[in-house]
Amino acid sequence: MASQRVFQVGLRRAGVPMFSRMQPAGRIAQRRFAATQHVEESEGQEILRKQRLQRPVSPHLSIYRPQITWYGSALNRVTGIMLSGSLYLFGIAYLAAPAMGWHLETPSMVAAVAAWPVFAKVGAKVALAFPFFYHSLNGLRHLSWDLGLGFKNTTVMRTGWAVVATSVVAGLYYTFLG
Amino acid sequence: MASLLRPSLLRQGPAVAAPSSRFLSTVTRQTALRPGALAASWQKPTTTTQRVAAFHATQRQQILPPLPQKIQGTANDPVPVPAPEYVHGSYHWTFERLVATGLIPLTIAPFAAGSLNPLTDSILCALLVIHSHTGFESCIIDYFPKNRVPKTRAAAMWALRIATVTLGVALYSFETNDVGITEAVSRLWHA
Repeated sequence: MASQRVFQVGLRRAGVPMFSRMQPAGRIAQRRFAATQHVEESEGQEILRKQRLQRPVSPHLSIYRPQITWYGSALNRVTGIMLSGSLYLFGIAYLAAPAMGWHLETPSMVAAVAAWPVFAKVGAKVALAFPFFYHSLNGLRHLSWDLGLGFKNTTVMRTGWAVVATSVVAGLYYTFLG
Repeated sequence: MASLLRPSLLRQGPAVAAPSSRFLSTVTRQTALRPGALAASWQKPTTTTQRVAAFHATQRQQILPPLPQKIQGTANDPVPVPAPEYVHGSYHWTFERLVATGLIPLTIAPFAAGSLNPLTDSILCALLVIHSHTGFESCIIDYFPKNRVPKTRAAAMWALRIATVTLGVALYSFETNDVGITEAVSRLWHA
């Protein structure tokens, strides 16, 4: 066995170019001790189980290039959660208001908002208007996909940017003018 | 010749295989630093510790770390195929689309008319409740897989159901006692 290995190593050393042959073998080579050993069927299954627990899971967000396709999709979900979350919070607060002593009737809310400084009003409007227009317009995109329209990659990218642009314009319009 | 170059090919599975040490013709710096790196390649390693080279060379950065999981069955089991259930499948899908499509005119109308009459406003509220509920449901299904975090999944689903019913009651109360959501939003917007 040892003699065969000596022969192999000799063959390989003879095969490498001159400049690297000058170096000792251990310095230029990475040694891998790939030990193989017989394991029982059950033990092998146990090793497999442990390996499967280490598998990476999807979505592997950090390895993908930022693109309008999946950024737009994520933004759709985020804006939806923002809008629906606000609605849920308002609904629960409205039901709890009598018990908590809050005044969430429209006249008192309008009076409260009217007393806000301008930057708070503008901030609140931007924070609601952009998600609203983005989610609504991107919803049209989704419904067109459900009909099988606009699936070409370039079309998806173009409509994605169009929705972003339109919602920015509409959001700014309704924040400052509407 | 083949047997000379690859003696392991002809060696028919002994009970305990001897650890093999192999050369790889890549230049590395680490090996030079390791004690005993200059030992002859045919010598057996003194310890039986298996050295496993890293498979992934790049660093892993996880934004969403994997949730705990339990392995059921073996690696060779087929994927279980659930029985077709149209109520949870295509009917549900079509229903979601109908709700979303119904929201389009009800979203545009208040911009054109200023606000909605009580009946249309109530329909908008009902559709918003359903649309929000299915949206949150999809999020829970995506981020809390049943086979990984069954208890969190169930808790989140029940919390969502309770919140949705609460929202329904709240919006009913708001519609009957107050001015309706489109009118309220309009007044708040111009406050």
